Amino acid sequence: MKRLLALMTTVCLVAVAGLSGCSPSEGTGGGKRTEIDFWYTWMGDGSTSMKKLIDEFNRSQDEVYVNGLAQGDLRKQMTAIVGGNPPDLASLPDEINLASWADKGAMMPLDAYIKKDGYDMEDYLPAARDAVTYEGKTYGLPLGMNTWMLYYNKDLLKKAGFDRPPETIQELKKYEAKLSEEKNGRITRLGLWPGQIPHVWMQSFEGRLWDPEAKKVTPLDPGFKSAVELTSSVWQKHGPEKIDRLLAGNGNYGSPQNPFATGKYAMTLDGEWLAPILGKNAPKLNYDVAPLPYDENHPEAKNAGYINVNLLYIPKKADEPEAAWKFMSWLAKKEQMVKFDKALGNLPPRKSAMDDPAFKDVPKFDRFLKYANSEKMEPLPSLPFMEKYMQEIHKQNDQINRGKVPVEKGLKDVETKIQPLVEKTMK
Amino acid sequence: MAQKSLAMRRKRRDFWMGLAFAFPFIAGFLFLTVIPFFQSLYFSFTEYDIFTEAKWVGLDNYTRIFQDENFYKALSNTFFMAFIAVPVSITVSLLIALLLNMKVKGIAFYRTVYYLPTVIPGVASSLLWLWILNPEMGILNTALRAVGLPDPAWLSDPAFTKPSLIIMGLFGTGGGALIYLAALQGIPREFYEAASIDGANAWHKFKCIVLPALSPVTLFQLIMGLIGAFQIFTEAFILSQDNLGGPDQSMLFYAVYLYNEAFVNLNMGYASALAWVLFVIVMLITLVIFKSSLRWVYYGGE
Repeated sequence: MKRLLALMTTVCLVAVAGLSGCSPSEGTGGGKRTEIDFWYTWMGDGSTSMKKLIDEFNRSQDEVYVNGLAQGDLRKQMTAIVGGNPPDLASLPDEINLASWADKGAMMPLDAYIKKDGYDMEDYLPAARDAVTYEGKTYGLPLGMNTWMLYYNKDLLKKAGFDRPPETIQELKKYEAKLSEEKNGRITRLGLWPGQIPHVWMQSFEGRLWDPEAKKVTPLDPGFKSAVELTSSVWQKHGPEKIDRLLAGNGNYGSPQNPFATGKYAMTLDGEWLAPILGKNAPKLNYDVAPLPYDENHPEAKNAGYINVNLLYIPKKADEPEAAWKFMSWLAKKEQMVKFDKALGNLPPRKSAMDDPAFKDVPKFDRFLKYANSEKMEPLPSLPFMEKYMQEIHKQNDQINRGKVPVEKGLKDVETKIQPLVEKTMK
Repeated sequence: MAQKSLAMRRKRRDFWMGLAFAFPFIAGFLFLTVIPFFQSLYFSFTEYDIFTEAKWVGLDNYTRIFQDENFYKALSNTFFMAFIAVPVSITVSLLIALLLNMKVKGIAFYRTVYYLPTVIPGVASSLLWLWILNPEMGILNTALRAVGLPDPAWLSDPAFTKPSLIIMGLFGTGGGALIYLAALQGIPREFYEAASIDGANAWHKFKCIVLPALSPVTLFQLIMGLIGAFQIFTEAFILSQDNLGGPDQSMLFYAVYLYNEAFVNLNMGYASALAWVLFVIVMLITLVIFKSSLRWVYYGGE
C-alpha cells in the first residue's frame, strides 16, 4: 500500500514537473530574458499572421520572449484577471467592454509608458484614439479598425436608371423604393438592407447616444431616432414576416451565396471585411462602395461615419507590464500593423499606414481608407455600461422593427432602463 | 490485546486509504459543487461584478427580478418548453417504443436507427437542423411546398422558433423510447393473456395494462424532461446566434438569460438570484408532480 502511495505521488510530481519544464527561457544572447504571455482573440488568418509576427519579434531581440496563445473566449480572460493570474498582454475584438473593464480596474492605463517612450499617438486617427480612451486615460493600443460603407450593385442600379450611388438619405430612400421587388408575397429583392445596428447610421443625422456635459444617455436624440426610423422603415414597408423569411433564407455570409453577391440585396450596409470576401467568392460582381448617405438637413454630416477598433491591453496585476508594453508598442507600429491588418482584412487605424502600398491589391480598400480618414468619423462613446446599453437598444429596435412598440416609446424605455446605470457606475 | 489493536490499526489504515482514493471525487464535489452552491446563495444577496468586491444589497436582486420584464419573458418561454415540449416528446417516445416492441423482422435494426440521433452532440445536431429548417433551401420546406402546404420561416419567425425547437427535440427521443421499450418488455405476458380471456381489445389492453405498468417510467421521464427543459441552453444559444434570444426574444430561455446576465453583463449577484429562483421553481414543480404521482403511478410490488 505504501509503495502504491509513493508511486502515485511520484506520478503526480513528474506530471507537474513535465508541465512546467517546457519553457524556452534562454535568450540567444545568454542574458536573462523576460517571458510574457499574450492571449489574442483572433482566429484563422488573424491567428496565423499573429503567430508570424510573434516569431519575428522573438527573433529580433533577446530581452523579451513572447508566448502567444490564441484564446477567443473573453470569459477566460476575465476569470484570469479576477483570479489574479492574468496574461501579461491580451487583446479585445472591439472596444465595447473597454470602459467597463477599465472602470472596474481590470486594465492598466498606458499613459505613463506612452509618455516615457514618447510613443507616437498623434499618428492614430482621433476616432481610434477616442475608442480606447476612458475618462482621459488610454487603456489600449488599437491594432485594427472597422468602418461601414454603402455597398451597391452597379448593374442593378443602372437597370433602375441610377448611374451613381445615393448621396443623401433622401436619395437613398428613393433608390430603395425603386430597387425593392416582391413577387407572390415574397421579397425577391431588397432595395437596401440597413443592417441590425442602427447606431452605424447615426452620424448621417448627426445623432449621438451620450451627452457628456449632462451625463445623460440620449437614445431619444433626434439624430439617433432618425437612424432607428431609417432601419425600421424597411421592416415596416415589407412587413416583419417577409423580412424574417428573407433573412432566414439567406445563404452563408462568407459564401458565394451571400445575399449581396447574388443580387438579393441591391444595396447593403457592410464593413470593409466584406470586400475581400466578395473578391474571392464573386469576382464577377459589378459593385462599388460609397460613404454612408447623409441627411439633407444636416449637410455637415457629409462623409461622417462610424468606426470601431480592436485593441491590445495590459491586464491589471500582469507580472511583466514593462515587457508587455515593449512588445505591444512594437506590434502597433506601422510596419507590423500593416502586415497584420492586411492578413485580417481590417483597416489600419494609423494615418501613416493609410496610403501604404500593401493595401493596393485589397479590393475597395482605397475607398474605405479614404472614408475612414475623414475627420468626421466617430466611435461609440466610452461608457462602462455600453454592453448593456447596446443590448437594450438591440431589443427595443427589434420590437420597433416588428411594429410592436412605437419608436418614441421604445427609445424612452431604453433611457429609463439605462440612465440609472450612469448614476451607479459614474460618480 | 495486541491482536485487537492490530486489527484496529488495519481498519483505520484501510479507512484512510479508502479516503485517499476517494479524495479526487470528494475534493471535486466539495470545491466544484457544494461550495459554489452555497456561494451562489451568498452572492444572490450581493452586487458582484467579479472584478470588485461583492457588496451586500439584501433582497434587492430578488425584488428586481420580479420587476424585470426579461425575467417574465424568459420564464414564459421556458414554461412553454417544459409544459408543451416535454409531454409531446414523452408521447412520441412512447409511440416509438410501442412500434419498436412489435415482432417484425429486423427489429434490432430499427431500434438502432431510432436510437442513433441521440448520440449526436447538441451542437452538431443544432447545426444540422439549421439547414433542415432553412426556409428557402431546407429539406422540410421543400417537402411542405411539394405537397402544397404553407412553409413557415421556422427559426426566424418568432411564432415558429419554439415549435422548431420541439421538432428538433423529437430527433432525440430515441433515448426515452429505449427506456420505455425496456419497461414494455418487463410487462408479464400473463396480464395480456388474462385480459384477452376477459374479452379486452387492443385499446383496453393499452389503457389498463400498458399505461399503468409504464407509469413509474413515465414519472421518471417527466421529471428528467422538465429539469432538462428548465435548463435548455445549447440549441437556443446556437440557433438564435446572439445571446439575446433571437427574433422578438422568442428563444430567450431562462438559462440563456442567466448566462447573459452573469457572463456578458457581469451581474453575478443578479444571476445568482435568478439561479435560486429557478431552483425554487423546479423544486416546487417536482414536489407537485411527486405528490400527484401517488394517484397515477403504480408500482408492481404493491
